[in-house]
Amino acid sequence: MKRSPIITAILSVFKKELKIFLRYPSWFIAMLIWPIIFPFGYLFTAKALSGTDGQSLAAFSNISGTSDYISFMLIGTTMWMIMNTMLWSFGTSLRTEQIRGTLESNWLCPVPKITILLGHSLWEIFFNIIFLTITAIEFKLVYNFKFIGSPLLSFLIIIISIPSIYGIGFIFASLVMWQKETNSMVFLVRGIMSVFCGITYPLAVLPNWMGNISKVIPLTHSISALRSVISTGATLADIKSQIYYLIFSGIILMALGFLAFNFTQRKVKESGSLGHF
Amino acid sequence: MAFKNLRIYLSAISAIIKKDIKIFFAYPINAVFRIIEPIMWITPVYFLSKSFQINGENIGFGQYSGTTDYMAFLVIGTVVSSFVSSVLWGMGFSLKEEKDSGVIESNWLTPIPLWVQLIGRSIFSLIITTINSLTVALLIWTFFGFNINNNIIHAIITLIPLLIALYGLGFGIASLVLITSNANQIIDITNFSLNILCGQDFPITVLPRVITAISLAIPLTYGYDAIRGLLLGTNTLFPIKTELLILTIFMIIGIFLGRYILKKVERHCKTIGNIGFH
Repeated sequence: MKRSPIITAILSVFKKELKIFLRYPSWFIAMLIWPIIFPFGYLFTAKALSGTDGQSLAAFSNISGTSDYISFMLIGTTMWMIMNTMLWSFGTSLRTEQIRGTLESNWLCPVPKITILLGHSLWEIFFNIIFLTITAIEFKLVYNFKFIGSPLLSFLIIIISIPSIYGIGFIFASLVMWQKETNSMVFLVRGIMSVFCGITYPLAVLPNWMGNISKVIPLTHSISALRSVISTGATLADIKSQIYYLIFSGIILMALGFLAFNFTQRKVKESGSLGHF
Repeated sequence: MAFKNLRIYLSAISAIIKKDIKIFFAYPINAVFRIIEPIMWITPVYFLSKSFQINGENIGFGQYSGTTDYMAFLVIGTVVSSFVSSVLWGMGFSLKEEKDSGVIESNWLTPIPLWVQLIGRSIFSLIITTINSLTVALLIWTFFGFNINNNIIHAIITLIPLLIALYGLGFGIASLVLITSNANQIIDITNFSLNILCGQDFPITVLPRVITAISLAIPLTYGYDAIRGLLLGTNTLFPIKTELLILTIFMIIGIFLGRYILKKVERHCKTIGNIGFH
Protein backbone atom coordinates (compact mmCIF):
# COMPACT_ATOMS: atom_id res chain seq x y z
CA MET A 1 0.00 0.00 0.00
CA LYS A 2 1.30 3.43 -0.93
CA ARG A 3 1.98 5.84 1.94
CA SER A 4 0.13 9.15 1.91
CA PRO A 5 2.34 12.07 0.77
CA ILE A 6 1.30 13.97 3.91
CA ILE A 7 2.66 11.23 6.16
CA THR A 8 5.80 11.02 4.00
CA ALA A 9 6.33 14.77 4.35
CA ILE A 10 5.77 14.71 8.12
CA LEU A 11 8.19 11.81 8.55
CA SER A 12 10.75 13.48 6.28
CA VAL A 13 10.76 16.60 8.43
CA PHE A 14 11.06 14.42 11.54
CA LYS A 15 13.99 12.53 9.99
CA LYS A 16 15.68 15.78 8.96
CA GLU A 17 15.35 17.19 12.50
CA LEU A 18 16.72 13.98 14.00
CA LYS A 19 19.66 14.05 11.58
CA ILE A 20 20.47 17.68 12.46
CA PHE A 21 20.19 16.88 16.17
CA LEU A 22 22.59 13.97 15.86
CA ARG A 23 24.94 16.12 13.80
CA TYR A 24 25.52 18.38 16.84
CA PRO A 25 26.37 16.11 19.80
CA SER A 26 26.72 19.17 22.02
CA TRP A 27 22.90 19.56 21.86
CA PHE A 28 22.61 16.33 23.75
CA ILE A 29 25.01 17.66 26.38
CA ALA A 30 22.85 20.79 26.57
CA MET A 31 19.83 18.57 27.12
CA LEU A 32 21.60 17.09 30.14
CA ILE A 33 22.82 20.41 31.51
CA TRP A 34 19.77 22.70 31.21
CA PRO A 35 17.45 20.85 33.61
CA ILE A 36 20.09 21.27 36.30
CA ILE A 37 21.25 24.81 35.69
CA PHE A 38 18.00 26.53 34.74
CA PRO A 39 16.20 26.08 38.08
CA PHE A 40 19.48 26.47 39.97
CA GLY A 41 19.37 30.28 40.08
CA TYR A 42 15.74 30.38 41.26
CA LEU A 43 16.30 27.71 43.90
CA PHE A 44 19.25 29.49 45.47
CA THR A 45 17.52 32.85 45.20
CA ALA A 46 14.68 31.28 47.18
CA LYS A 47 17.17 29.90 49.67
CA ALA A 48 18.75 33.35 50.08
CA LEU A 49 15.31 34.94 50.49
CA SER A 50 14.37 32.29 53.10
CA GLY A 51 17.07 33.56 55.42
CA THR A 52 18.54 31.64 58.30
CA ASP A 53 15.77 31.83 60.89
CA GLY A 54 12.83 30.39 58.90
CA GLN A 55 10.53 33.43 59.30
CA SER A 56 10.64 34.40 55.63
CA LEU A 57 10.10 30.78 54.58
CA ALA A 58 7.01 30.71 56.78
CA ALA A 59 5.74 33.80 54.92
CA PHE A 60 6.24 31.99 51.58
CA SER A 61 4.53 28.89 52.94
CA ASN A 62 1.49 30.94 54.01
CA ILE A 63 1.03 32.33 50.52
CA SER A 64 1.91 29.27 48.43
CA GLY A 65 0.55 26.52 50.66
CA THR A 66 3.86 24.67 50.73
CA SER A 67 7.26 25.20 52.30
CA ASP A 68 8.81 22.85 49.72
CA TYR A 69 9.91 25.62 47.39
CA ILE A 70 12.20 23.19 45.56
CA SER A 71 9.40 21.05 44.09
CA PHE A 72 7.30 24.18 43.60
CA MET A 73 9.95 25.75 41.37
CA LEU A 74 11.15 22.60 39.64
CA ILE A 75 7.65 21.95 38.28
CA GLY A 76 7.23 25.54 37.10
CA THR A 77 10.65 25.79 35.49
CA THR A 78 10.28 22.43 33.71
CA MET A 79 7.06 23.53 32.03
CA TRP A 80 8.69 26.82 31.14
CA MET A 81 11.66 25.00 29.59
CA ILE A 82 9.32 22.90 27.44
CA MET A 83 7.53 26.06 26.31
CA ASN A 84 10.83 27.83 25.64
CA THR A 85 12.25 24.93 23.58
CA MET A 86 9.06 24.78 21.59
CA LEU A 87 9.12 28.52 20.88
CA TRP A 88 12.72 28.50 19.71
CA SER A 89 12.21 25.37 17.73
CA PHE A 90 9.05 26.53 15.92
CA GLY A 91 10.34 30.07 15.58
CA THR A 92 13.62 29.06 14.06
CA SER A 93 12.32 26.12 12.00
CA LEU A 94 11.03 28.28 9.16
CA ARG A 95 13.29 31.24 9.85
CA THR A 96 16.52 29.22 9.59
CA GLU A 97 15.34 27.84 6.27
CA GLN A 98 14.62 31.39 5.12
CA ILE A 99 18.18 32.40 6.03
CA ARG A 100 19.75 29.32 4.49
CA GLY A 101 17.69 29.71 1.33
CA THR A 102 15.89 26.35 1.52
CA LEU A 103 12.41 27.56 2.45
CA GLU A 104 11.31 28.35 -1.08
CA SER A 105 12.33 24.94 -2.44
CA ASN A 106 10.47 23.26 0.44
CA TRP A 107 7.44 25.38 -0.33
CA LEU A 108 7.45 24.08 -3.89
CA CYS A 109 6.87 20.49 -2.72
CA PRO A 110 3.38 19.26 -3.71
CA VAL A 111 2.21 18.71 -0.12
CA PRO A 112 0.19 20.92 2.25
CA LYS A 113 2.68 23.36 3.80
CA ILE A 114 1.31 22.72 7.27
CA THR A 115 2.98 19.29 7.09
CA ILE A 116 6.29 21.07 7.65
CA LEU A 117 5.03 22.26 11.02
CA LEU A 118 3.35 18.96 11.79
CA GLY A 119 6.61 17.13 11.14
CA HIS A 120 8.27 19.58 13.40
CA SER A 121 5.65 18.97 16.09
CA LEU A 122 6.27 15.23 15.88
CA TRP A 123 9.96 15.83 16.40
CA GLU A 124 9.22 18.18 19.31
CA ILE A 125 7.02 15.62 21.04
CA PHE A 126 9.69 12.95 20.67
CA PHE A 127 12.38 15.36 21.90
CA ASN A 128 10.30 16.47 24.88
CA ILE A 129 9.56 12.92 26.01
CA ILE A 130 13.31 12.26 26.17
CA PHE A 131 13.88 15.65 27.80
CA LEU A 132 11.26 15.03 30.49
CA THR A 133 12.65 11.59 31.28
CA ILE A 134 16.16 12.98 31.67
CA THR A 135 14.81 15.91 33.70
CA ALA A 136 12.91 13.65 36.11
CA ILE A 137 15.98 11.49 36.73
CA GLU A 138 18.26 14.49 37.23
CA PHE A 139 15.80 16.23 39.56
CA LYS A 140 15.67 13.14 41.73
CA LEU A 141 19.47 12.79 41.79
CA VAL A 142 20.49 16.43 42.08
CA TYR A 143 17.62 18.15 43.87
CA ASN A 144 16.02 15.19 45.68
CA PHE A 145 12.72 15.98 43.96
CA LYS A 146 9.74 14.52 45.82
CA PHE A 147 6.97 12.99 43.68
CA ILE A 148 3.95 12.42 45.94
CA GLY A 149 1.04 12.06 43.46
CA SER A 150 0.31 9.86 40.46
CA PRO A 151 2.94 9.91 37.66
CA LEU A 152 0.25 8.74 35.22
CA LEU A 153 -2.02 11.68 36.02
CA SER A 154 0.96 14.05 35.67
CA PHE A 155 1.69 12.56 32.26
CA LEU A 156 -1.97 13.01 31.30
CA ILE A 157 -1.77 16.72 32.23
CA ILE A 158 1.28 17.12 30.01
CA ILE A 159 -0.44 15.32 27.10
CA ILE A 160 -3.55 17.48 27.46
CA SER A 161 -1.36 20.60 27.54
CA ILE A 162 0.27 19.73 24.19
CA PRO A 163 -2.45 21.12 21.85
CA SER A 164 -2.46 24.51 23.56
CA ILE A 165 1.35 24.70 23.65
CA TYR A 166 1.66 23.64 20.01
CA GLY A 167 -1.21 25.86 18.94
CA ILE A 168 0.80 28.78 20.29
CA GLY A 169 3.80 27.32 18.42
CA PHE A 170 1.93 27.36 15.11
CA ILE A 171 0.77 30.95 15.62
CA PHE A 172 4.29 31.81 16.63
CA ALA A 173 5.95 30.21 13.58
CA SER A 174 3.53 32.12 11.35
CA LEU A 175 4.34 35.41 13.05
CA VAL A 176 8.08 34.81 12.69
CA MET A 177 7.75 33.96 9.01
CA TRP A 178 5.94 37.24 8.54
CA GLN A 179 7.77 39.54 10.93
CA LYS A 180 11.22 37.83 10.58
CA GLU A 181 12.40 38.76 14.09
CA THR A 182 12.57 35.38 15.85
CA ASN A 183 14.47 36.52 18.92
CA SER A 184 12.06 39.28 19.82
CA MET A 185 9.06 37.05 19.29
CA VAL A 186 10.55 34.36 21.55
CA PHE A 187 11.45 36.94 24.18
CA LEU A 188 7.93 38.38 24.11
CA VAL A 189 6.02 35.11 24.40
CA ARG A 190 8.32 33.42 26.90
CA GLY A 191 8.52 36.68 28.85
CA ILE A 192 4.72 36.81 29.12
CA MET A 193 4.73 33.20 30.32
CA SER A 194 7.38 33.81 32.95
CA VAL A 195 5.76 37.00 34.23
CA PHE A 196 2.16 35.76 34.37
CA CYS A 197 2.19 31.97 34.82
CA GLY A 198 3.63 31.73 38.33
CA ILE A 199 6.60 29.68 37.27
CA THR A 200 8.65 30.56 40.34
CA TYR A 201 6.20 32.32 42.63
CA PRO A 202 2.68 31.76 43.99
CA LEU A 203 0.02 33.57 41.93
CA ALA A 204 -1.44 35.05 45.11
CA VAL A 205 1.28 37.74 45.16
CA LEU A 206 0.14 39.14 41.80
CA PRO A 207 -1.99 42.28 41.68
CA ASN A 208 -5.60 41.55 40.64
CA TRP A 209 -5.26 42.66 37.02
CA MET A 210 -2.20 40.45 36.54
CA GLY A 211 -3.93 37.55 38.25
CA ASN A 212 -6.81 37.85 35.77
CA ILE A 213 -4.43 37.70 32.80
CA SER A 214 -2.62 34.71 34.26
CA LYS A 215 -5.90 32.74 34.48
CA VAL A 216 -6.38 33.04 30.71
CA ILE A 217 -2.98 31.48 29.86
CA PRO A 218 -3.16 27.66 29.54
CA LEU A 219 0.37 27.19 30.91
CA THR A 220 -0.79 28.59 34.28
CA HIS A 221 -3.35 25.80 34.50
CA SER A 222 -0.83 23.12 33.45
CA ILE A 223 1.65 24.23 36.11
CA SER A 224 -1.00 24.58 38.79
CA ALA A 225 -2.48 21.13 38.02
CA LEU A 226 0.97 19.52 37.98
CA ARG A 227 1.88 21.14 41.32
CA SER A 228 -1.36 19.87 42.88
CA VAL A 229 -0.80 16.34 41.61
CA ILE A 230 2.94 16.01 42.17
CA SER A 231 3.32 17.87 45.46
CA THR A 232 0.01 17.26 47.23
CA GLY A 233 -1.25 14.06 45.61
CA ALA A 234 -4.40 15.63 44.07
CA THR A 235 -6.70 13.32 42.09
CA LEU A 236 -8.36 13.79 38.70
CA ALA A 237 -11.53 15.04 40.42
CA ASP A 238 -9.53 17.74 42.25
CA ILE A 239 -8.09 19.19 39.04
CA LYS A 240 -10.99 18.68 36.65
CA SER A 241 -11.63 22.39 36.10
CA GLN A 242 -8.00 22.84 34.97
CA ILE A 243 -8.24 19.79 32.71
CA TYR A 244 -11.41 21.15 31.06
CA TYR A 245 -9.73 24.50 30.54
CA LEU A 246 -6.67 22.87 28.95
CA ILE A 247 -8.82 20.83 26.55
CA PHE A 248 -10.92 23.86 25.62
CA SER A 249 -7.93 26.18 25.13
CA GLY A 250 -6.09 23.45 23.20
CA ILE A 251 -8.91 23.21 20.63
CA ILE A 252 -9.14 26.99 20.26
CA LEU A 253 -5.38 27.56 20.00
CA MET A 254 -4.83 24.71 17.55
CA ALA A 255 -7.59 26.10 15.29
CA LEU A 256 -6.09 29.58 15.54
CA GLY A 257 -2.65 28.12 14.79
CA PHE A 258 -3.88 26.51 11.54
CA LEU A 259 -5.68 29.70 10.54
CA ALA A 260 -2.64 31.87 11.28
CA PHE A 261 -0.37 29.60 9.28
CA ASN A 262 -2.70 29.56 6.25
CA PHE A 263 -3.16 33.31 6.40
CA THR A 264 0.59 33.99 6.65
CA GLN A 265 1.32 31.54 3.91
CA ARG A 266 -1.00 33.39 1.57
CA LYS A 267 0.33 36.75 2.66
CA VAL A 268 4.03 35.95 2.09
CA LYS A 269 3.23 34.40 -1.27
CA GLU A 270 1.34 37.49 -2.37
CA SER A 271 4.04 39.86 -1.21
CA GLY A 272 6.77 37.58 -2.54
CA SER A 273 8.64 37.79 0.75
CA LEU A 274 8.85 34.07 1.50
CA GLY A 275 12.59 33.93 1.03
CA HIS A 276 13.34 37.39 2.47
CA PHE A 277 15.35 37.73 5.67
CA MET B 1 54.14 50.82 11.25
CA ALA B 2 52.30 50.18 14.51
CA PHE B 3 50.46 53.50 14.10
CA LYS B 4 49.50 52.62 10.53
CA ASN B 5 48.13 49.27 11.71
CA LEU B 6 46.18 50.98 14.44
CA ARG B 7 44.61 53.33 11.89
CA ILE B 8 43.63 50.40 9.68
CA TYR B 9 42.21 48.50 12.65
CA LEU B 10 40.18 51.49 13.77
CA SER B 11 38.81 51.98 10.31
CA ALA B 12 37.81 48.27 10.18
CA ILE B 13 36.18 48.53 13.61
CA SER B 14 34.24 51.60 12.54
CA ALA B 15 33.06 49.78 9.38
CA ILE B 16 31.88 46.83 11.51
CA ILE B 17 30.08 49.19 13.91
CA LYS B 18 28.36 50.92 10.97
CA LYS B 19 27.21 47.55 9.64
CA ASP B 20 25.92 46.51 13.09
CA ILE B 21 24.01 49.78 13.45
CA LYS B 22 22.39 49.17 10.06
CA ILE B 23 21.38 45.62 11.00
CA PHE B 24 20.15 46.72 14.43
CA PHE B 25 17.79 49.31 13.04
CA ALA B 26 16.64 47.03 10.23
CA TYR B 27 14.93 44.95 12.93
CA PRO B 28 13.20 47.55 15.12
CA ILE B 29 11.27 45.05 17.24
CA ASN B 30 14.56 43.45 18.30
CA ALA B 31 15.78 46.88 19.39
CA VAL B 32 12.71 47.44 21.57
CA PHE B 33 13.04 43.99 23.08
CA ARG B 34 16.56 44.61 24.26
CA ILE B 35 14.91 46.88 26.84
CA ILE B 36 11.78 44.88 27.53
CA GLU B 37 13.51 41.53 27.99
CA PRO B 38 15.51 42.28 31.16
CA ILE B 39 12.33 43.64 32.77
CA MET B 40 10.59 40.42 31.86
CA TRP B 41 13.36 38.44 33.58
CA ILE B 42 13.33 40.62 36.66
CA THR B 43 9.55 40.78 37.18
CA PRO B 44 9.08 37.10 38.18
CA VAL B 45 12.06 37.35 40.56
CA TYR B 46 10.49 40.49 42.04
CA PHE B 47 7.29 38.54 42.72
CA LEU B 48 9.35 35.69 44.12
CA SER B 49 11.01 38.10 46.55
CA LYS B 50 7.58 39.50 47.43
CA SER B 51 6.36 36.06 48.43
CA PHE B 52 9.13 35.89 51.06
CA GLN B 53 8.60 39.39 52.46
CA ILE B 54 7.67 40.19 56.04
CA ASN B 55 5.98 43.61 56.34
CA GLY B 56 7.30 44.58 52.90
CA GLU B 57 10.95 43.74 53.66
CA ASN B 58 13.16 40.81 52.74
CA ILE B 59 14.35 40.19 56.28
CA GLY B 60 15.60 36.68 55.47
CA PHE B 61 17.68 37.96 52.56
CA GLY B 62 19.28 40.55 54.82
CA GLN B 63 20.56 37.76 57.09
CA TYR B 64 22.71 36.45 54.23
CA SER B 65 23.63 39.59 52.33
CA GLY B 66 23.59 42.53 54.70
CA THR B 67 20.78 44.36 52.85
CA THR B 68 17.03 43.82 52.86
CA ASP B 69 16.67 45.73 49.58
CA TYR B 70 16.60 42.71 47.31
CA MET B 71 15.55 44.70 44.24
CA ALA B 72 18.68 46.86 44.40
CA PHE B 73 20.80 43.71 44.78
CA LEU B 74 19.06 42.16 41.79
CA VAL B 75 19.23 45.22 39.54
CA ILE B 76 23.01 45.56 40.04
CA GLY B 77 23.45 41.86 39.28
CA THR B 78 21.33 42.21 36.15
CA VAL B 79 23.25 45.24 34.88
CA VAL B 80 26.65 43.53 35.34
CA SER B 81 25.29 40.35 33.72
CA SER B 82 24.02 42.28 30.73
CA PHE B 83 27.60 43.42 30.06
CA VAL B 84 28.85 39.85 30.40
CA SER B 85 26.16 38.68 27.96
CA SER B 86 26.87 41.50 25.58
CA VAL B 87 30.53 40.54 25.18
CA LEU B 88 29.89 36.79 25.01
CA TRP B 89 27.05 37.01 22.47
CA GLY B 90 28.59 39.92 20.59
CA MET B 91 31.82 38.01 20.00
CA GLY B 92 30.83 34.35 19.95
CA PHE B 93 27.54 34.55 18.15
CA SER B 94 28.81 36.94 15.49
CA LEU B 95 30.92 34.12 14.09
CA LYS B 96 27.94 31.81 13.91
CA GLU B 97 25.88 34.49 12.15
CA GLU B 98 28.66 35.04 9.64
CA LYS B 99 28.86 31.29 9.04
CA ASP B 100 25.11 31.01 8.50
CA SER B 101 24.98 33.98 6.15
CA GLY B 102 27.99 32.67 4.23
CA VAL B 103 30.20 35.75 4.71
CA ILE B 104 32.73 34.44 7.21
CA GLU B 105 35.25 33.30 4.61
CA SER B 106 35.23 36.61 2.75
CA ASN B 107 35.60 38.47 6.06
CA TRP B 108 38.59 36.33 6.99
CA LEU B 109 40.18 37.09 3.64
CA THR B 110 40.42 40.78 4.57
CA PRO B 111 43.81 41.79 6.05
CA ILE B 112 42.19 42.47 9.44
CA PRO B 113 43.07 40.06 12.26
CA LEU B 114 40.20 38.04 13.66
CA TRP B 115 40.58 39.52 17.15
CA VAL B 116 40.10 43.02 15.74
CA GLN B 117 36.95 41.88 13.90
CA LEU B 118 35.62 40.38 17.12
CA ILE B 119 36.32 43.55 19.10
CA GLY B 120 34.49 45.48 16.40
CA ARG B 121 31.48 43.20 16.73
CA SER B 122 31.33 43.69 20.48
CA ILE B 123 31.58 47.49 20.55
CA PHE B 124 28.15 48.35 19.24
CA SER B 125 26.74 45.63 21.44
CA LEU B 126 28.40 47.27 24.47
CA ILE B 127 27.09 50.72 23.55
CA ILE B 128 23.57 49.37 23.24
CA THR B 129 23.99 47.45 26.50
CA THR B 130 25.01 50.61 28.33
CA ILE B 131 22.01 52.53 27.02
CA ASN B 132 19.73 49.58 27.78
CA SER B 133 21.09 49.09 31.28
CA LEU B 134 20.48 52.71 32.19
CA THR B 135 16.97 52.61 30.73
CA VAL B 136 16.15 49.30 32.41
CA ALA B 137 17.48 50.50 35.78
CA LEU B 138 15.38 53.64 35.48
CA LEU B 139 12.26 51.67 34.57
CA ILE B 140 12.76 49.21 37.41
CA TRP B 141 13.32 52.06 39.83
CA THR B 142 10.02 53.55 38.62
CA PHE B 143 8.06 50.28 38.78
CA PHE B 144 9.54 48.53 41.80
CA GLY B 145 11.77 51.07 43.55
CA PHE B 146 15.28 50.51 44.99
CA ASN B 147 18.03 52.52 46.66
CA ILE B 148 21.75 52.82 45.89
CA ASN B 149 24.36 55.14 47.45
CA ASN B 150 26.65 57.73 45.84
CA ASN B 151 29.61 55.48 44.98
CA ILE B 152 28.61 55.28 41.31
CA ILE B 153 31.99 56.52 39.97
CA HIS B 154 33.85 53.90 42.03
CA ALA B 155 31.49 51.22 40.76
CA ILE B 156 32.13 52.27 37.14
CA ILE B 157 35.90 52.14 37.78
CA THR B 158 35.42 48.58 39.06
CA LEU B 159 33.44 47.69 35.96
CA ILE B 160 36.28 48.68 33.59
CA PRO B 161 38.83 45.89 34.39
CA LEU B 162 35.91 43.49 34.50
CA LEU B 163 34.88 44.46 30.98
CA ILE B 164 38.40 44.26 29.58
CA ALA B 165 38.86 40.85 31.18
CA LEU B 166 35.62 39.74 29.58
CA TYR B 167 37.19 40.26 26.16
CA GLY B 168 39.64 37.48 27.02
CA LEU B 169 36.69 35.26 27.84
CA GLY B 170 34.95 36.37 24.63
CA PHE B 171 38.00 35.28 22.58
CA GLY B 172 37.88 31.91 24.32
CA ILE B 173 34.16 31.49 23.57
CA ALA B 174 34.68 32.53 19.95
CA SER B 175 37.37 29.81 19.71
CA LEU B 176 34.95 27.21 21.04
CA VAL B 177 32.30 28.31 18.56
CA LEU B 178 34.80 27.90 15.72
CA ILE B 179 35.65 24.37 16.79
CA THR B 180 32.16 23.06 17.55
CA SER B 181 29.89 25.11 15.23
CA ASN B 182 27.23 25.14 17.94
CA ALA B 183 27.25 28.71 19.10
CA ASN B 184 23.82 29.00 20.69
CA GLN B 185 24.22 26.28 23.24
CA ILE B 186 27.82 27.08 24.10
CA ILE B 187 27.20 30.76 24.68
CA ASP B 188 23.86 30.24 26.39
CA ILE B 189 25.19 27.66 28.83
CA THR B 190 28.42 29.57 29.54
CA ASN B 191 26.57 32.83 30.01
CA PHE B 192 23.86 31.36 32.19
CA SER B 193 26.28 29.34 34.32
CA LEU B 194 28.57 32.32 34.83
CA ASN B 195 25.66 34.47 35.90
CA ILE B 196 24.39 32.05 38.50
CA LEU B 197 27.79 30.93 39.77
CA CYS B 198 28.99 34.51 40.16
CA GLY B 199 25.90 35.53 42.12
CA GLN B 200 23.77 37.52 39.70
CA ASP B 201 20.60 36.94 41.76
CA PHE B 202 21.84 35.87 45.20
CA PRO B 203 24.90 36.04 47.47
CA ILE B 204 27.16 33.08 46.69
CA THR B 205 27.39 32.26 50.40
CA VAL B 206 24.06 30.39 50.09
CA LEU B 207 25.59 27.88 47.68
CA PRO B 208 26.81 24.45 48.80
CA ARG B 209 30.49 24.51 49.78
CA VAL B 210 31.79 22.75 46.64
CA ILE B 211 29.98 25.15 44.35
CA THR B 212 31.07 28.14 46.44
CA ALA B 213 34.66 27.04 45.79
CA ILE B 214 33.96 27.12 42.03
CA SER B 215 32.37 30.56 42.35
CA LEU B 216 35.35 31.86 44.26
CA ALA B 217 37.64 30.59 41.51
CA ILE B 218 35.82 32.72 38.90
CA PRO B 219 37.17 36.29 39.02
CA LEU B 220 33.85 37.72 37.77
CA THR B 221 32.36 36.88 41.18
CA TYR B 222 34.53 39.61 42.71
CA GLY B 223 33.23 42.10 40.14
CA TYR B 224 29.61 41.53 41.17
CA ASP B 225 30.59 41.48 44.83
CA ALA B 226 32.72 44.64 44.79
CA ILE B 227 30.16 46.68 42.83
CA ARG B 228 27.40 45.68 45.27
CA GLY B 229 29.68 46.38 48.21
CA LEU B 230 30.30 49.87 46.85
CA LEU B 231 26.72 50.70 45.91
CA LEU B 232 24.72 48.88 48.58
CA GLY B 233 27.17 48.37 51.43
CA THR B 234 26.56 44.59 51.32
CA ASN B 235 28.85 42.11 53.11
CA THR B 236 31.71 41.44 50.67
CA LEU B 237 33.72 38.24 50.35
CA PHE B 238 37.06 40.10 50.73
CA PRO B 239 37.94 43.76 51.30
CA ILE B 240 36.97 45.71 48.14
CA LYS B 241 40.61 46.66 47.41
CA THR B 242 41.60 42.98 47.34
CA GLU B 243 38.70 42.23 45.00
CA LEU B 244 39.85 45.03 42.68
CA LEU B 245 43.36 43.57 42.63
CA ILE B 246 41.97 40.14 41.70
CA LEU B 247 40.00 41.74 38.86
CA THR B 248 43.06 43.56 37.54
CA ILE B 249 45.15 40.36 37.51
CA PHE B 250 42.26 38.57 35.79
CA MET B 251 42.13 41.33 33.20
CA ILE B 252 45.82 41.00 32.30
CA ILE B 253 45.90 37.19 32.22
CA GLY B 254 42.47 36.86 30.56
CA ILE B 255 43.20 39.11 27.65
CA PHE B 256 46.55 37.52 26.75
CA LEU B 257 45.39 33.95 27.27
CA GLY B 258 42.17 34.51 25.30
CA ARG B 259 44.03 36.03 22.38
CA TYR B 260 46.59 33.22 22.39
CA ILE B 261 43.87 30.54 22.29
CA LEU B 262 41.97 32.35 19.54
CA LYS B 263 45.09 32.61 17.40
CA LYS B 264 45.77 28.88 17.78
CA VAL B 265 42.19 27.93 16.93
CA GLU B 266 42.06 30.33 13.99
CA ARG B 267 45.16 28.68 12.55
CA HIS B 268 43.73 25.22 13.19
CA CYS B 269 40.47 26.09 11.39
CA LYS B 270 42.34 27.56 8.44
CA THR B 271 44.49 24.42 8.23
CA ILE B 272 41.64 21.91 8.25
CA GLY B 273 39.38 24.19 6.20
CA ASN B 274 36.20 24.11 8.30
CA ILE B 275 35.67 27.87 8.55
CA GLY B 276 32.45 27.97 6.56
CA PHE B 277 30.99 24.72 7.95
CA HIS B 278 27.81 24.94 10.01
